[in-house]
Amino acid sequence: MSRVFHVPAGTSASRARRAGPATTSPAPNVSFVCGAGSAGRGSASGRIVAGYLAPHPPHLIYADNPEQNEPRSRGGWEVLRWGYEELRRRIAGPNRPDVLVVHAPHWITMVGHHVNCVPNPRGISVEPIFPNLFRYHYDFRTDVELAESILAEADGLGLVTSAMREPDVRVDYATIGALHLANPAWDLPVVSISANNNPYFYSDAALDEMEVLGEATRRAIEKTGRNAVLLASNSLSHLHWDVEPDLPEDMSREHAYNQHQYEWDMRLLSAIREGPTSRLRELVPRHIEETSSETKAGSLSWLLSAMRWPDVPGDVLAYGTVIGTGNAVVEWTDRRA
Amino acid sequence: MAALVPGMPHMLAADAAPSWARLRDATRRTGDRLRAAGVETLVMVSTQWFTVLGHQVQTDPHLVGEHCDENWYGYDYGRQRYDITVDTELAFGWADAIDARGLQSRKTRYECFPVDNGTVTAMNLLDPEHRFRLALVSCNLYAGVDAMRVLGKAAAAAASQLGRRIGVVAVSGLSSGLIQQWISPGEDRIADDHEAWDRRMLDLVISRKHDDVLELREEYARAAQVDSQLRVYPFLAGTGVDTLESCELLEYGPIWGTGAAVVNWQ
Repeated sequence: MSRVFHVPAGTSASRARRAGPATTSPAPNVSFVCGAGSAGRGSASGRIVAGYLAPHPPHLIYADNPEQNEPRSRGGWEVLRWGYEELRRRIAGPNRPDVLVVHAPHWITMVGHHVNCVPNPRGISVEPIFPNLFRYHYDFRTDVELAESILAEADGLGLVTSAMREPDVRVDYATIGALHLANPAWDLPVVSISANNNPYFYSDAALDEMEVLGEATRRAIEKTGRNAVLLASNSLSHLHWDVEPDLPEDMSREHAYNQHQYEWDMRLLSAIREGPTSRLRELVPRHIEETSSETKAGSLSWLLSAMRWPDVPGDVLAYGTVIGTGNAVVEWTDRRA
Repeated sequence: MAALVPGMPHMLAADAAPSWARLRDATRRTGDRLRAAGVETLVMVSTQWFTVLGHQVQTDPHLVGEHCDENWYGYDYGRQRYDITVDTELAFGWADAIDARGLQSRKTRYECFPVDNGTVTAMNLLDPEHRFRLALVSCNLYAGVDAMRVLGKAAAAAASQLGRRIGVVAVSGLSSGLIQQWISPGEDRIADDHEAWDRRMLDLVISRKHDDVLELREEYARAAQVDSQLRVYPFLAGTGVDTLESCELLEYGPIWGTGAAVVNWQ
């Protein structure tokens, strides 16, 4: 566990930041009003309809060739993309949520848990690591009322927080990746939450803190009456190649980084498929230790905590590797809801 | 000439902590020295442009724009303009030299490419009048000591081939015990154990005990959560800082709990 996160959380400064001090843009004074599918809004009967492990490698969007992304590809990583097709089918029609809430490890915040409160984030996100694959034009709506409510709940539970109200902050590829693949039409409002750690070079995540953030997220969803789908934008095993083939989508070069990584991913996914999720409380940290799993950024723990660690198996919709990393699309639904 | 400078934007704060102001002044003084040394192009690596595949070399001739930081946006130093001229001749030569040494370079030229906060902060302090050109490589988080050293050697070789007078700048913090609170500048401090480690390593650096620095690097990285495991040091060594006559610590202090230093080699 990182010593970075052993500093006691303070809330007074976080509350002060909710008004957005010293930012150049005024805080929005109106809340987003949802369109279709908002039954239950304001009735304080909200619930989490489903939660998904929703990995974000930019290769998946690149392979899909959506009009929003500038680079063109010949495809690739189809099994994972078929998993997302199934995810999209499941959250369509009568199961359509009011909002998608995403926690992503590449909006890295050094201090505190930040929630995007910009009503209409739009711009181009050129990914500094994969600029050849990901130059995505984004334009989406934020459910500001829910975003504010998550901040208030998190603050009340003692987390350090910040409301991000700067439209010029570039939206990261992990946020866009999970959201696009779950809903490429972008016709659902969104709440985007940062990862309060740097899984790459500063520290490990504090998974216990992510549990608190999950609790805050659930309380906010219930209080605001939203029917929400949660997206945990994490890959699994995270060792990967350090060079790129001339053709990035060359599938003859794609396979698990090594057998150890693969076997640990299967061990985790088997436990997920068998349920209950409480087994994962111990297994996720072990999986992180064994595979440098990206779940150390905390998105999966946040999701399961928000869903009260449901006593159900997860439904693995797909598994595949991307530059050697393990990635799975997994669904949990809470029968208690 | 070569330098280690911090990449945290707090140095630009109007209401700066004493250490932030001292580090800012030291970084500016480093820029003065680079100009006095007749440097044409800064060869730079920044830990805040971290990558994982190959080694990206910036080849866009003119980087201009504004960086709004995803963490520090709420402060006056969270937004910075930049206007940087890239020495593309050196950049391409460097990329080729990297490839020739068995590593993979990736030439990077994309509109709206997000220049990292470390590079922007360093350039605005070192070169406020935009006199230098820049050759910039990313910091691969999986690169080992040998690879980082090769990157440095490749830069020096490419510059030599072009007859370019370069200054080498590594933009990196030291210990990274970020304070997990929204603090006022006066509350900034470094944990005692981190400061002890930082000072131990800085003593070795300014004593020019390169082998000792490299030997202790991994232990230091684990003990003090060092920014990118001090990968920039073997990079600096690769460019030849061990052949320079003197090494001076201009400043050391906290930036939001992290250790930051300005070191000059001449």
